[in-house]
Amino acid sequence: MGVIGYGLGVIGAGLAIGLAAFGATSAMARQPEVQGRAFTVFILASAFTEALGLIGFVVTLIS
Amino acid sequence: MDAFSKLPEAINELVSEFSSAPVVGDLGAGITQYSFWLLVSAIVLLVVVFTFVKKQTLVPKGLFVNGVEYLVEYVENDVAKGVVGTEWRKHFPFLATIFFFILINNFIGLIPGMKPGTGAIGCTAALALVTFIYFVYFGCKKHGVIGYLKSLAPAGVAFPMNVFVWVIEVFSLLLRPITLAIRLFCNMFAGHIVMGSFAIMASLFAQPLLEQVSAMNALGALPSLAWVAILLIIYAVELIVAFVQAYVFTVLAAVYIQIAEAEGH
Repeated sequence: MGVIGYGLGVIGAGLAIGLAAFGATSAMARQPEVQGRAFTVFILASAFTEALGLIGFVVTLIS
Repeated sequence: MDAFSKLPEAINELVSEFSSAPVVGDLGAGITQYSFWLLVSAIVLLVVVFTFVKKQTLVPKGLFVNGVEYLVEYVENDVAKGVVGTEWRKHFPFLATIFFFILINNFIGLIPGMKPGTGAIGCTAALALVTFIYFVYFGCKKHGVIGYLKSLAPAGVAFPMNVFVWVIEVFSLLLRPITLAIRLFCNMFAGHIVMGSFAIMASLFAQPLLEQVSAMNALGALPSLAWVAILLIIYAVELIVAFVQAYVFTVLAAVYIQIAEAEGH
């Protein structure tokens, strides 16, 4: 049961990282000169959302 | 498949190996495997920093000095000057200490057979608590205790909503150290569990071949090549994660310091 719950929970984190990558790529395509800054922000944003997915993973293992 | 039936048991064993166990003494007053590697990485960090200071010249020479200097300047420009702003010089020592401590712990943990000091919730909770006390202290120093408590709510909100917003802001303030601790701990813990699971799968599939060489067993051992390939990719990702998590922790600490010291928030 826990594994199914984790699978459902990771949908949210996956959507969030996808959205962040979408925003970063379209920003880089519109304005190539902000590439460096946009990439840093993208890495930060995906680290935040990835943490949510990993919290689900750890809770699944512990419970 | 025989290998798949053994898998859950092996993974349970792996997870139980990750809970803190005392190496010297007991759990109350002793050294667990995490605090042992924490001490080792602290010593490594001290050696690195003191060698760096001794070797420093006006024009940096060599890979080691240039590498450490690049990291220091990265924290200085990207985190301290970029996020904290005009008062960056006061907070730079704290931010650099946190960054290098987490970075060296994460990287020591990635060497096979060693454990990350930051892989135990107690260590990350202590780091987050230190950060929390640091930025609350500097907020209180700048605005006074009453002024800091008042500055949590944004100025220019009408009276009844004001109290409501203040309660929410206090709640989010208290959540900050918890999220800092859990983010770092979960990243380290989950990354090592995933790497361990793939290593276990590779060894379980290859085991029949090692016991008795035959064509059937060689065919059964083929998937372990794929597991090893995935393991190497995850290892590369973990190298990035080790750096990014140290960076994220430092940036968030800098953001919280900046918010605590900001005027008219």
